[in-house]
Amino acid sequence: MNKNFLDIENVTFQAGGTNKVNNVSFSIENEGDIICLLGPSGIGKTTILRTIAGLEKIKSGKIKLKEKVISSNKINIEPEDRNISLSFQENSLFPHYTIEKNINLGTERTNKNKKKSINPKKIIKLLNISNILDKYPHQISAGEAQRVSLARSLVSQPDLLLLDEPLSNIDQSFKEEIQVQLKQILKNLKITTIVVTHDSYEAFYLGNKCGIILNRQLKQFDNPYNVYHFPNSIEVVNFLNRGILVPATVTGENSLENDDLGTIKGNFIKRHPKGSNVQLLLQPEDLEHDDKSNLKLEVVDRKFRGTNFIYTLKTLSNKLIPVFVHSHHVHQHEVDEKFGIKRPINIDHIVCF
Amino acid sequence: MKNINIWYLSSFFISLLVAIPILTVFSSFFENTSNYFEILKNTFLLEYIFNSFVLLIGVLCLTFIIGVGCAYLVSFYNFPLVSFFKWALILSFAVPPYIYAYSLTAFFENYGTAFTILKNLFGDGDYNKSIPKFDGMLGAILSVSFSLFGYVYILTRASFYYQSQNLIELGKNLGFSKIKSMFSIILPSARPAIVAGLSLVAMETLSDFGAVSFFGINTLTTGIYNSWIAFDDLAFANQLSFYLLIFILALFILENYSRKKAKYHSPTKGGFKQKEKTNLYNLKSFMAFLACAIVLFISFIFPLTQMLYWTIIFPKNFTDLNIQQLLINTIYLVVLSSSVLIIFSFISNYGNRVSRSKFLNLLTTFSVSGYAIPGVILAVAFISFIAWFDNNVISFFEIKSIKKIFIGSILGLVLVYFVRFYSLACNGIRSGYEKINRSIDESAYLIGYSKLKTFLNIHVPYLKNSALLITILISLEVIRELPITLILRPFNFETFATTAYIYASQDLLEAAAVPSLFLILIASFFILTTSKYILREDNE
Repeated sequence: MNKNFLDIENVTFQAGGTNKVNNVSFSIENEGDIICLLGPSGIGKTTILRTIAGLEKIKSGKIKLKEKVISSNKINIEPEDRNISLSFQENSLFPHYTIEKNINLGTERTNKNKKKSINPKKIIKLLNISNILDKYPHQISAGEAQRVSLARSLVSQPDLLLLDEPLSNIDQSFKEEIQVQLKQILKNLKITTIVVTHDSYEAFYLGNKCGIILNRQLKQFDNPYNVYHFPNSIEVVNFLNRGILVPATVTGENSLENDDLGTIKGNFIKRHPKGSNVQLLLQPEDLEHDDKSNLKLEVVDRKFRGTNFIYTLKTLSNKLIPVFVHSHHVHQHEVDEKFGIKRPINIDHIVCF
Repeated sequence: MKNINIWYLSSFFISLLVAIPILTVFSSFFENTSNYFEILKNTFLLEYIFNSFVLLIGVLCLTFIIGVGCAYLVSFYNFPLVSFFKWALILSFAVPPYIYAYSLTAFFENYGTAFTILKNLFGDGDYNKSIPKFDGMLGAILSVSFSLFGYVYILTRASFYYQSQNLIELGKNLGFSKIKSMFSIILPSARPAIVAGLSLVAMETLSDFGAVSFFGINTLTTGIYNSWIAFDDLAFANQLSFYLLIFILALFILENYSRKKAKYHSPTKGGFKQKEKTNLYNLKSFMAFLACAIVLFISFIFPLTQMLYWTIIFPKNFTDLNIQQLLINTIYLVVLSSSVLIIFSFISNYGNRVSRSKFLNLLTTFSVSGYAIPGVILAVAFISFIAWFDNNVISFFEIKSIKKIFIGSILGLVLVYFVRFYSLACNGIRSGYEKINRSIDESAYLIGYSKLKTFLNIHVPYLKNSALLITILISLEVIRELPITLILRPFNFETFATTAYIYASQDLLEAAAVPSLFLILIASFFILTTSKYILREDNE
């Protein structure tokens, strides 16, 4: 018998009577795990959080928290009785209370049985909101409001914490610092968390596991490495937008042939019969720059991303392929120049569809 | 069905209670009437309709000119005392049309105040012929217009306030003259607010009873009253109400439509730039000052001083009147009605919010149309319903008649006030609620608050200012209200409004001055305490 912390069993998530995400099943095995849900805007990620929090009801399936059914077509425990905290994306602070009072309201329900208790002051300091404690919600910025909301959720030490785009309004410079500290706090206090985000890097950093929601379905639920490197469908590849698919023919157990790039070698993640035509996933880090190579492609675009450049190269069959090059790399190419690709092409793992 | 809880049921029953008189009016359309209808159809019905129409058109034209004109001057120009006029012009609300009518008559009648002034200034003479007479239809139009132009003024001013400087500058950039800017840019973009203000004026005009009955003009509203009082024909009174109601509902829809359109000229966060007022000098400045001063004088100072003058020269009327009792009665009604309205509006709105039921929302929308129904109709419909209920339901169970409990009692009076002003209270609380994001409620649930605790600890404290403003607005309405109080009040229970009406209807205008003066003073006090909210720039 499984003893998962949270089980979502065949749940169809609805908002306003409309099905948003159908027949979803996943589990959080251990207390303190962090799960990230990724997907495009309006796909139903927030609906999933709202349903788990008890703000939306379900007609089919079951949601169990610590083996207790909290939502089903017959049972619906009220949100106030779940000890689940949801930090909303938009401002949800009580407008007539000061920031300090707003945060302290979160402690009203703090679980007394928790082994480790959280110090609100520490959270306030971490989120850099000490200077706005006496203010009212209308006097602070959207980013500050989001941090206050996060603080309120954290100090309540819920059994399950749900964060809806928790850092979307926060400055990039401060965001990474908060991500690190947030992860640390959640781990230290063993607060099981589900984070909804559209930032894949945030999801890959925070999550023990990531779920990709596309076309009203949970397409993939796996650890971040697998989601990135072994996407299980073309839709996930397109959503993550970290590579392109090129046509190729399987020529052996470890090789395939592409008209533009020639032979490509590597380990197949999934077996494909020899001679079959497939779509090969080429990610920016799969190809290496080598101007001595006789395989040369035309540069159509170059993006500077600080630590690296991303070259977009055009093949003879007009496919556009992205390639990473370290930004300290000395041989830079301009648009319209020829860019050499190292041969033979060896890819660590071959993902085909 | 799972959403039906105590909040849903409370909200449902409150809305139903308010909807009953409205439904009664509709259902009466199919009832038999006495032969009064035939008599009326052949005699006065056309006159009723014609008079109502003329009154309506006259009042709409006058309130448009005064309301928009004043709003334009105080919004776009700087001249002496402009800040004072900005709020002082809303004092006209303190003078109900019927008291204005008394003042108008008292001043211009033969040997009236105007005559006395001329006599004191120029000695004895036959001045009566040269003093214009503002009675009949003209008097009614003036009385209603100067009492109600505030609706147009307030809404138009708020709309002008939001007209971005960018818009004005755009006109200048296109080479428009000031006149062309006014007619091509300023007025069209304020159109929804102007129409909304005029719709309110139209509803109030059609439901006016005091002023038109004082001037002896037969309108549909007085017709309803007469068919009930003189001919004891409730069914026909209701049928007449039905026609008026259809007319008013059309206006109501128009008003709703224009309010939706009003969103088009709401300020955008980025694009709004505060207007720079134009400074007026010399003659132009004096003319602007004079225009506002004349409107303030005619609408407020004139009726106030007329009533004050009579109170002073006829002190016996003051000492004869039991002011203390009238004050207690008026305050009693104000406190009772506003408390009931505010509490039930809170419950109803929260029930709507929690249940998110489309049906409930529809029922509430229907029930708030009570504001569009003239007080006379509501009172008559209420009596009809109680009579029907007593005859058909109560008598079936052989229980003692309930007529005495509801008709001619404070309970019945407050119930009909409730229906009449429910829209004011309910919409007021609702607009407060609209500013509370739903995620605020959900946040409260998620920190462990029950629905009741969320209501008491989050909503009530947050909405207390809105509730206070609405309480005062309701109080203002209750103080001024005439026909409902007149029809449903208990025996020997008088307010300032009914006392003034009774004296005036007996041609004892001097005696009507004392209660009228008190009514104006109390209403002015309420207006002054809330003027900053009424004129608040975001009050649309």
